[in-house]
Amino acid sequence: MTPRDTFLQRVKKAVSDGNRAGAAPKLPERCGVGYQGGGPDLLERFRQELANAGGKAYLAADRDGVVRTIQSIVQPLNARRILLSRGGLIDRLGLPNQLNEIGFNARTQNEIGPDAKEDFFAAEVGVTNVHRLIAETGTVVMAAQPDEPRSASLLPPVHIALAERSQILPDLFDLFDLFSPAANQTPSTPPSCLTLITGPSKTGDIELKLVTGVHGPGEVHVIVVGE
Amino acid sequence: MNYAQHEHHEFVEASTEALADATLQTALVRLTDTLLAGNRRGYAALADSSELRDHAKAIKEHTLSHLDQYLEQLEASVHRLGGKVHWAATAEDARRIVVDIAKKANCKHAVKSKSMTSEEIHLNPALENAGIEVTETDFGEFIIQVAGERPSHLVAPAVHHTRESVARVLSKHLGEDLPDDPKSLAMVGRRVLREKFRRADLGITGANFAVAETGTVVLVTNEGNGRITTTAPRVHVAIMGIEKVIPRFRDLPVFLKLLARAATGQTLSVYTTMITGPRKTGELDGPDEFHLVLLDNGRTNILATPFRESLQCIRCGACLNACPVYRRIGGHAYGGVYSGPIGSILTPLYDSVPLNPHLPHASSLCGACQAACPVKINIPHMLIGLRELQHEYKPSRWEEWAYHLWSWALCQPWLYRWGMWAARLLMRWQAVDGWLSHLPGPGSEWTQVRDFPAPAAKSFRDLWKEMQT
Ligand code: SF4
Repeated sequence: MTPRDTFLQRVKKAVSDGNRAGAAPKLPERCGVGYQGGGPDLLERFRQELANAGGKAYLAADRDGVVRTIQSIVQPLNARRILLSRGGLIDRLGLPNQLNEIGFNARTQNEIGPDAKEDFFAAEVGVTNVHRLIAETGTVVMAAQPDEPRSASLLPPVHIALAERSQILPDLFDLFDLFSPAANQTPSTPPSCLTLITGPSKTGDIELKLVTGVHGPGEVHVIVVGE
Repeated sequence: MNYAQHEHHEFVEASTEALADATLQTALVRLTDTLLAGNRRGYAALADSSELRDHAKAIKEHTLSHLDQYLEQLEASVHRLGGKVHWAATAEDARRIVVDIAKKANCKHAVKSKSMTSEEIHLNPALENAGIEVTETDFGEFIIQVAGERPSHLVAPAVHHTRESVARVLSKHLGEDLPDDPKSLAMVGRRVLREKFRRADLGITGANFAVAETGTVVLVTNEGNGRITTTAPRVHVAIMGIEKVIPRFRDLPVFLKLLARAATGQTLSVYTTMITGPRKTGELDGPDEFHLVLLDNGRTNILATPFRESLQCIRCGACLNACPVYRRIGGHAYGGVYSGPIGSILTPLYDSVPLNPHLPHASSLCGACQAACPVKINIPHMLIGLRELQHEYKPSRWEEWAYHLWSWALCQPWLYRWGMWAARLLMRWQAVDGWLSHLPGPGSEWTQVRDFPAPAAKSFRDLWKEMQT
């Protein structure tokens, strides 16, 4: 027997020994328990919850609005090096060019190539699309893919996320339903890295004093594009 | 190596020391009050929170009673993704497996995200002996790694430190003179740890959950170090106890909704990272290799017994914050890796019941732990069960005599009534502002570290009699 088989054999025996005392209950279905929902105005709920978590949400009507908002966030920081992910709203709004035109050093990851660790570590602002937003908790959901590297929302001290209004989900349960065969007709497997981001990075390790930005971004801004 | 790091008999000495440490007492009150208030607020703000906790418990019960099947399913899912699964029956196996992975991949610099499981198997010394540098990256864990200590709380490992002591520890380590305000110290931590992340070729994490259906490993952190640990290095090793597996991806949010609320009152922790295999083709970051180490280390022994319920624990720390004993003595006194009420169960079971005689008694059985627990683990019940297991426990001669006298007195109503009357009179006469600061004889041990409340003016029996007339 391999160590693996011995291991599993022992688990199997322990399971049946222990089951004798109690029963072996079935896997329960949730049937709606714990669903909070996002209320009548998802954007407003998202904005409030994100604010509670220490982040900030903005509404921008069009491309100019988005560029102006980014400018107003980045200008006071004295930051120049902006790292953008690709695809989605970022491509559709032509953001890299727009930002370069107004004097930033904005680069997407096609320009930095696959050995880009140093560029990721050096970036001062990360601009990304999102997979979804969750109103119930004020959460930004990131899904890793070639256009959307994990580092862009992680390593720079400031994260700016762009989303469309239609990307807001009411409840955390809704997100997981997207990946679940029983609740959805066309299930997709989860991406290599699915991340829920709820506000800026926090620590309270010294005397419970809240400090933001110890590892992840100390600022999280979400720009929702739409009416 | 022993599971417990303290000498086994030190519980009494260690807790006496903790009680005399005024700084620790302040820190414990601040921490546990804040987190416990968060726990209550968190549950209150969540619709159906009690039903959701029942549901979470039911998922765990089901999983544990089919654990072999779910582990096999988890293995198949991870393999499908191109990851590798390793089976570690003991702590020693786990250490050897991780060191081998590191050597084979030629890794020299490891970064770790906070993991109780790796504490449990004493991983760091093994890696260092193999010539691999290990850095704890949770800021609190980093502080205690530099100080050469152990974590004292599940979610706040450095609670026993003050800003001054952190400044001292880090200044000495870095050879700089650091200011003692938390913000600057945390930014120093960021700077130092960023350098470590940049160089790291091996990322080691625990797992809060693992999903059998998809092979997903879940990490929950507030700082983001868990994310960088699984993003920058080219190899990722996750080490998890076998009890952490859950069946389906859609069972995950049930636990996520409860975990942060129970731990701190947050709706969600800042970062929930769900890793499903190594990076895919075309992705610019994330590890090339993904390894999952499944650890038994005594868990199957528990699984076979009525103490199985203790394996439902999701390590939120809420029972610690709620426990009147933990709140006074802190985490180190418990001597094991896990402290507080759940530690009082796990340490004797993982380590040895006879060698940890005090732990099952380090509880007033008030039930505050169960009330705070997101999976409603019946901790008091299991503590009583452990007390029953302590066959060898023999009361002292003095204790036996005292119980005899007590039972005889209870059989003499006149004596009982007279005794109570006299004791009440005496105690009320001695009390200052309703509290006694000294009791005579064996009672003096109690009043060494706390006051005793004076009895009420009228006994229950007197009040009852008055109500009848
Ligand atoms: S026993 Fe319950 S309350 Fe205590 S740490 Fe585990 S899950 Fe949390």
